[in-house]
Amino acid sequence: MTRRENQESRLKKRRSNWPSALLFLSPTFVIFGVFIAFPIVFSFYLSFHEWNMFSGERDFVGAHNYAAMLADPEFWHVFKTTAIYTIGTVPLNMLIALWVAFILNKKIVGKKFLRAAFFTPVIVSSVAAAVIWRWVFDPNLGLLNFALESIGIPSVNWISNATAAMFALIIVGVWKTFGINMILFSAGLSGIPEHYYEAAEIDGAGGWDKFYNITLPLLSPTTLFILVLSIIGSFQVFDLVFVLTFGGPLGSTKVLVFYLYEHAFKFFNMGYASAVAYALFAVLFVLTLLQIRFFRGQAYEVA
Amino acid sequence: MRGRRFTLLLLAAAFLSMSCGSGPADDGRVRITFWHSFVQSTIPALEELIDRFETEHPGIRIDAQYIPTGDALVQKLVTSVQSKTAPDLSWIHSNYLEGLVTADAVYEMSHFIDGPNGLDSADLAAIHPALIEYASWRGTMYSMPMEATNLGIVYNKDHFREVGLDPDAFPADWDALLEATRKLTRDLNGDGVRDRVGFMPAIVPADGPQGPYMMWQWTPFLWQAGGYLINEEQTEVLFDSEAGVAALTLWKNLYDLQQLGGFSNDFMVAFASGQASATLDGPWNLPRYPDLLRGMDWGIAKLPAGPAKRATVVAGEYLAIFKQSQNPDSAWAFVKWMIDPDIQAFWSMKSGYLPVRSDVLEIDWYQQFLDENPGHKAFVDQMEFAQAQRPMDFNTLRIQRELTVAIEQATVGGMDPATVLREAARKGNELLRSADRSFETMN
Amino acid sequence: MSKQRVHIARRVPRHIGAHVLIYTLAALTVIPFIWMVMTSFKPLGEIFRVPPTWFPEDFTFDNYTRAFTAAPFGRFYFNSLFVAAAVTVGQLITCSLAAYAFARMRFKGRDLIFYIFLGTMMVPIHVTMIPGFMILHWLGWIDTYAALIVPGLASAFGTFLLRQFFMTIPVELEEAAFIDGCTRWGVLWRIILPLAKPALATLAIFTFMAVFNDFIWPLIVLNSEDMYTVQLGLAIFRDRYSTEWGNLMAGSVVATLPILLVFFFAQKYFIKGITLSGLKG
Repeated sequence: MTRRENQESRLKKRRSNWPSALLFLSPTFVIFGVFIAFPIVFSFYLSFHEWNMFSGERDFVGAHNYAAMLADPEFWHVFKTTAIYTIGTVPLNMLIALWVAFILNKKIVGKKFLRAAFFTPVIVSSVAAAVIWRWVFDPNLGLLNFALESIGIPSVNWISNATAAMFALIIVGVWKTFGINMILFSAGLSGIPEHYYEAAEIDGAGGWDKFYNITLPLLSPTTLFILVLSIIGSFQVFDLVFVLTFGGPLGSTKVLVFYLYEHAFKFFNMGYASAVAYALFAVLFVLTLLQIRFFRGQAYEVA
Repeated sequence: MRGRRFTLLLLAAAFLSMSCGSGPADDGRVRITFWHSFVQSTIPALEELIDRFETEHPGIRIDAQYIPTGDALVQKLVTSVQSKTAPDLSWIHSNYLEGLVTADAVYEMSHFIDGPNGLDSADLAAIHPALIEYASWRGTMYSMPMEATNLGIVYNKDHFREVGLDPDAFPADWDALLEATRKLTRDLNGDGVRDRVGFMPAIVPADGPQGPYMMWQWTPFLWQAGGYLINEEQTEVLFDSEAGVAALTLWKNLYDLQQLGGFSNDFMVAFASGQASATLDGPWNLPRYPDLLRGMDWGIAKLPAGPAKRATVVAGEYLAIFKQSQNPDSAWAFVKWMIDPDIQAFWSMKSGYLPVRSDVLEIDWYQQFLDENPGHKAFVDQMEFAQAQRPMDFNTLRIQRELTVAIEQATVGGMDPATVLREAARKGNELLRSADRSFETMN
Repeated sequence: MSKQRVHIARRVPRHIGAHVLIYTLAALTVIPFIWMVMTSFKPLGEIFRVPPTWFPEDFTFDNYTRAFTAAPFGRFYFNSLFVAAAVTVGQLITCSLAAYAFARMRFKGRDLIFYIFLGTMMVPIHVTMIPGFMILHWLGWIDTYAALIVPGLASAFGTFLLRQFFMTIPVELEEAAFIDGCTRWGVLWRIILPLAKPALATLAIFTFMAVFNDFIWPLIVLNSEDMYTVQLGLAIFRDRYSTEWGNLMAGSVVATLPILLVFFFAQKYFIKGITLSGLKG
């Protein structure tokens, strides 16, 4: 019997039913229904219509928007770009965040300052961050090439090279968000009861054993949470692209939501944009289920 | 428990403050909401302008409301028209007219021009025809130009001297421009990397916020070669003509000389820091130069002549009056006052923008202002060969986007100009054919 | 508790390699921010100098004075802080309640509802903001604080976050409380929430940040400048053709520093750890 089933079976005698749960859920349900669920259902309805947003008329077009989307080579291009961005940022982001959180959980001097330092990028607004980073990447003025040259590496034209631009986007994407995951991992790590480690030490476990056998499994609810959220976040990346690379050069950093945004607010085709949103939704939904499945196979149940 | 009380306090404060925001003017004046996206450096001038209007029109109060520029303005307009919370008066761009007009959101200008507080035909005739074209959709005026801009070149005279070019004569044709760019583009410290570029056209990512700006900058080069964007019947795009290929090849050659473009939009950074000797520029930047270019000997030049002619492109900001307005006539009073020659001269001096009508030049004190400000004068002088883009009436933004992609492909992507233009034209023509022209038959 | 104290106590650092690595990473992380601060004190001409200067040679406050005369930033600041605080407090309440129900209560369709709830995070805001706006308009809330606050009071993210943390709290503690005659409310209030302080603090800082830095939602639901938030105010330094670099940097520093200070001093709440009395006892 897994731990969770065990917990729940014990709670069974106090099993509550709907009325009591509803008391807890109602504030969220009301707000959620009005401001989240309705707009989402409405946009699903829109995905079967053509609507220029200015007028009140909406023409029903069936699955036309979906068909047009699947037939548009650019859709597949932005899909690929988004996948590359996700693969580039999520693991790197999580590894750095976990490492930092883990180190900061040890005896380190100046933790407060370090934690604040790592959290700074999260606080800086995307617009200001983009302006600074465009300077960092500037081929002539930039700090990055200045630094590279000072250690003898020839400068890179970060600006008009498609591969370099994606690389730059990934660097800034990780920089901007790993502080969030660091905090989450820190909270998760501090939530692991100390006596588990003490017990392990009595059994003669080393540092790595403790990390692998205690920290990782007990951290898995946090890890799943971060993984799910990071993948959703990186598949929906928009702000950073919008202010840093503008999707260029040559569309090399044009991501899905950027494409969606373009159709909604440049071409005024909300129906098509909604169809793209639902394609994104479908992909994320499947990915999330897979993650939950994967974690369910782990020692400690989380979902 | 303390937390809970705090929450209640916050929520109470939130709901109490819900009442602030819109409401009738308490001083009995008609209140006109005016949405604009003037940048910080223009705000003081705008405040002076509105003060002057309100003094002259004691019954009207203008609530100028800053809306972040570009896409944000579109989003605000779309949502406000949808929810019937549109402003009385707003800045618009000709690009949005298709949507605004088909949604019946804005007045035709003739509603006011022919009304009781109408406009003389002489006043209308004095406005630069290119601006009237921009202010219209399918030949009907739906907005009124508030100010004009056009495209010129700002260049660094010291750099010209360094390579033995005449600092007071910017290249006047394409060949001279290429030749000068070749000379000005230099590796100053001998490390094999170019530290300075001669002339930078604004090559930016096609889908970014500056994409349309890149196309706007390229259009005068198309005209200089004798080309057009679209035919008069609005049935076929023409940018893949020989002229189009010539203009794009020029940009490609300029780009190849320096290899700069991509995701930097900070051309002014490059110019101000001395990394670029010249760049395309408009009069809106003039008020910033004394500070930005301190210590530099800079000049403003006209765009060069191409194989066919000299040309530059105009643009401006346009005022539209919304049908949801309670007081359209008061909004019109502001629009009408705005295009008065004296006000145009006043506004141009304060803001750096150009007057929308040529008779402003007959005002003595304005002439004197121009003589003291050669930068302004260069832009004003250019108005004589300034043209408007022939407006595309259908699927404008999508067709423009295809052209923008072609420009980026030919330069940054190193592809053949003729090939990319042909592909863009094919897509553009497809968009024209599939366009919904029902509005035309409706009227 | 004692363990934590030991951490704080000054000791000779044991992990030299870890120190070097983590301080290097921290330095790399803050360099862009430091540069932003430095730039905000440089006159326009110096900002673009080649090679770039690190410390401002002509130190100036001009960017700050100009940024603050361009727009009523004091008011914007108040709006941002007020809205962010209200949403944060509200979300802590609604999300705790919902998360507790999802984590500990049994009712038909619980997991399905939870997954649907999670699923809503997967729809990007750009397609839902127009219908959302229409509802606000229908409620008559356009251009009010309510338009910024109320839609933020339910959060799938927050509920998910708290649920994950609640589930790590051993159920034995609740059992004991139930035996002592506690109600569910009592358990949530006296047992779960105190133990979940790190998670609550984490949610608080994230929500606060997200609301404080949001641009697109305030943009569409606000009309009058009195109601603008800091992020909308900062947009005035950029248009499509040009950026007021110095002023934007100054404005961003002012927008960032106070939050950074709050974070600095509030971090003890989510670092202090869940290893509180009850568990070890």
